[in-house]
Amino acid sequence: MRISLNWIREFVAVDAGPQEIADRLTMAGLEIEGMEKVDGDTVIETEGMEKRQGEMIFEVNVTPNRSDCLSMLGIAREVAAAFRLPLKLPSTEPGDGLPASDISVEITDQDLCGRYAGRLISGVTVGESPAWIKDRLEKCGIRAINNVVDVTNYVLLEFGHPLHAFDADKLAGRKIRVARAGKGATLTTLDEADRELPADSLLIWDGSHPVAVAGVMGGLGSGVTGTTRNIFLESAYFEPTSIRRTSKLLGLRSEASYRFERGTDIEFLEKALNRAALLMQETGGGTIHGLVDAYPEKYVAPATEVSYARVNALLGTGISRKEMLDILGRLGMKTEDKGDTFAVVPPAYRRDILHTVDVVEEVARIYGFSNIPARVPRTVLSDGNLNQKEDDLNRIRDSVRKTGFSEVINYSFMNPADLDLLALSPADERRKYITVMNPLRQEDGAMRTTLVPALLQNFMHNISRGVRVIRLYELSKVFIDEGGQLPVEKMRFAGIFFRDRSPSIWRQDLPAFYQVKGSLEALFEELKTGDLTYRMSDEPFLHKGKAADIYLKGKKLGCVGELNPSVIERLDLKISKPEVILFDLDLDCLLSAVSREKKYSQIPRYPSVERDMAIILDEGITADEVLDHFRAFASEFIESIELFDHYKGKNIAQDKKSLAFRVVYRSSERTLTDTEVEPLHKGLLDHILKQTGGELRGV
Amino acid sequence: MDELLGLKESFRAEVASVQNLADLQNLKNRYSGKKGLLTLQLKSLSSVPPDQRPQYGKTLNEIREDIEGRIRDLELSFKEAEKERRLLAEKIDISLPGRPSHFGTAHPLTQVLAEIKAIFVSMGFSIEEGPEVELDHYNFEALNIPKDHPARDMQDTFYVSDDVVLRTHTSPVQVRVMEKQKPPLRIIVPGKVYRCDSDVTHTPMFHQVEGLMVDTDVSFSDLKGLLELFIHNLFGKGTPVRFRPSYFPFTEPSAEVDIGCIFCAGKGCRICKTTGWLEILGSGMVNPRVFEMAGYDPEAYSGFAFGMGVERITMLKYGIDDLRLFFENDLRFLRQF
Repeated sequence: MRISLNWIREFVAVDAGPQEIADRLTMAGLEIEGMEKVDGDTVIETEGMEKRQGEMIFEVNVTPNRSDCLSMLGIAREVAAAFRLPLKLPSTEPGDGLPASDISVEITDQDLCGRYAGRLISGVTVGESPAWIKDRLEKCGIRAINNVVDVTNYVLLEFGHPLHAFDADKLAGRKIRVARAGKGATLTTLDEADRELPADSLLIWDGSHPVAVAGVMGGLGSGVTGTTRNIFLESAYFEPTSIRRTSKLLGLRSEASYRFERGTDIEFLEKALNRAALLMQETGGGTIHGLVDAYPEKYVAPATEVSYARVNALLGTGISRKEMLDILGRLGMKTEDKGDTFAVVPPAYRRDILHTVDVVEEVARIYGFSNIPARVPRTVLSDGNLNQKEDDLNRIRDSVRKTGFSEVINYSFMNPADLDLLALSPADERRKYITVMNPLRQEDGAMRTTLVPALLQNFMHNISRGVRVIRLYELSKVFIDEGGQLPVEKMRFAGIFFRDRSPSIWRQDLPAFYQVKGSLEALFEELKTGDLTYRMSDEPFLHKGKAADIYLKGKKLGCVGELNPSVIERLDLKISKPEVILFDLDLDCLLSAVSREKKYSQIPRYPSVERDMAIILDEGITADEVLDHFRAFASEFIESIELFDHYKGKNIAQDKKSLAFRVVYRSSERTLTDTEVEPLHKGLLDHILKQTGGELRGV
Repeated sequence: MDELLGLKESFRAEVASVQNLADLQNLKNRYSGKKGLLTLQLKSLSSVPPDQRPQYGKTLNEIREDIEGRIRDLELSFKEAEKERRLLAEKIDISLPGRPSHFGTAHPLTQVLAEIKAIFVSMGFSIEEGPEVELDHYNFEALNIPKDHPARDMQDTFYVSDDVVLRTHTSPVQVRVMEKQKPPLRIIVPGKVYRCDSDVTHTPMFHQVEGLMVDTDVSFSDLKGLLELFIHNLFGKGTPVRFRPSYFPFTEPSAEVDIGCIFCAGKGCRICKTTGWLEILGSGMVNPRVFEMAGYDPEAYSGFAFGMGVERITMLKYGIDDLRLFFENDLRFLRQF
């Protein structure tokens, strides 16, 4: 909200300069977010003070609990409290012997309207406002229209109370009734929109029709025009919740509704009405009539009883009783000392003061947060939390980082059309997404069920900017709709790998698939997950022949493989046949397999004997199948089997390949001799050849 | 005897002209070979008169040891020089680049989050999590923000349904944890949050860290002490800190926490909007209403809560001037950290 410092000075004679005032207000909870020097105010020339050059406008951030500060008066009250100065108000006495108003007021729905006051002002000339009014409105960001509207806005800014001016001659039956809309009520509002009004919304009716949406906007038909002569000025208290609901349902916000929904001053509204009537008379002539005031139940502020000790205990201070009561007094609260406790009755404009902590806060902010000592908490040592999951996540990040992957963080939103890009089947779990009712863009309308589309976007983003080595991963949640009230949130760990084939000084020509698989294997080893198995994958977005599903203890952990060329086609990439590898793992599954056990086992004491064998096999037999046959061969002396060569080409038939293995034999009790190992190795070789139908490759 | 001394002299002359291992080999053959001069002398020892023989033998031995020693030394030094030559011949261009093997990087937000977590874990806080798609109840109601409350305007909410939202802050986890655990409590909750807002200074998703400490005698003074300690850990010991009153429905009293602007040392600049201060944390004493709704006795316990935006802190720490960089995931950005 924009606040004029000169206007404030009319209410409180503060000598301090703008910066000091701004600092004090900020430290009392009214943050001054900006200060703007504007042209000098034409009016102000306070007694005993020199005329100030220029004028300062403050941009104040008023928190939702402080509706009382949405005006010059409200801010002036805070200045007065902070600087211990008296507050003075302009005269709001319309005088005695006024003619009676012939417009009657009746509140039907008292639960939504606590008070409705008004005055008739007859014989007003509608015209341009004087410069000083227009000037102030403009400085505070409100456009001047005519003296009647401008005066209501002026008083809104000055006192924070919204007023509404009706053309009194257009009120049928010269009657005002405050009641709910009920079914089927309609109204054309001042913004010339025809509106159907929600049944529960509060309306102002004349003798026959709705004339205003209470606290939100007036009706066009009863509005003030250039020819209006007689004005009925409304000043009322409406229930905040009701105003907020109506304003939201109608999608209609106004300066008035903004204040009503935060709460206004039911007592002060009469002064605001009088001030406006006087200003209207001053700017447009006419006669002010007597007050009509429906105020069925006079407002009694709730008293709160607070213990002095509690205030100091919650703040960690030693504020004296006298000082507490003094602070509250400066804020316009009535206090009564009751020994160990005191009672607080807040003014009507402070409806936010209801509980002990509300009082504590008032004492604290005026006492000054900076005067409260800082003390490092003393507390019982607890066993703490090992934060094992955090630790495991860090190990994952660190492990993939060392193989060149950088972490990305993407928005949790996705475009459901991305699922088509991945060619996911209708039954795929990743089709069960939830949607957001009010997305920023339709393309971001769903919560993502897979991290893959965003990684593809990251890849596209980087490649189109000339980055040629791309290794990215993300650790994030996906959201699967499994029919419950909330979706199931699952952690995924996915990555993308790309290396273009442009020449590099040092050859790195192994297929990218094996490079990524190697990175993952290093990770699994680091996490001690135990053995994993790989099976051909049928993920639709991966290459049919170059993709594996990874299984961990019989459970599918995820997949790794080359991106399906048909997905690449749809990506509109400027590179021909790029080798892009993706992996996508179930992170919860991976974390559950992490082993933290570290146990020593003896380093072998006796030397090993190593023997190699190269076998020519049918191309279709996988390395895993051969290794399975090795494992099936029982011998206590085989320590390990390592596949160390894979060869196709010269000297090997077209449909064959050669695999070479190194077998390590060792006994834990003695040194094995060649004569022991020879027959064993021969037996193993025969077993493998028999099982695989392969033949020994000549050396 | 003269013959022996002549031999010594001739060796001295010949050894001076030896240039390489081959010369040396020739010299060696000439003196110590099967028909070498020394060998011949040794063989002719029997023809020396017996009375002169011991003296002759002794002298011969001395000369032989001397000659053979010189030859061995020379041999060694020639071989050493030969090795040096071979190594130099194998010289490589050490200025060629190494085989590229870059480590990747953790996202800058992850790095700063890790720092924040480490500070709190060292102060005995444990790390908790909660759902990102959250019930309206936990996101608002249980935090003293009923429906139709103006405080809801403080946060533009993404709705999944009338009762389900994308959490607008990490605060709902406070309540979820309090429902499960009895006090005393010291937790932080890092995580993603969502608000329906996107411009230069807002992204629809960002990261927060929420903190909560509850015990029998926790005061605003403790809040100040703990957060000052945290800020001094994160931004350095001398960083000025100020607490100023603010409003959050779930805390009272509430405080915004500012640090002295790290770019202009508090003098006032564009980044701190000339105030000299940068807002980095929201905090406050837990509102008793929140305790009640979570099932804690507000008479028996007090506590404080705080929350911070990780993007903002990361921008300040690393001097990043555009929020959107965090989610573009451009490797030229990511690799800087």
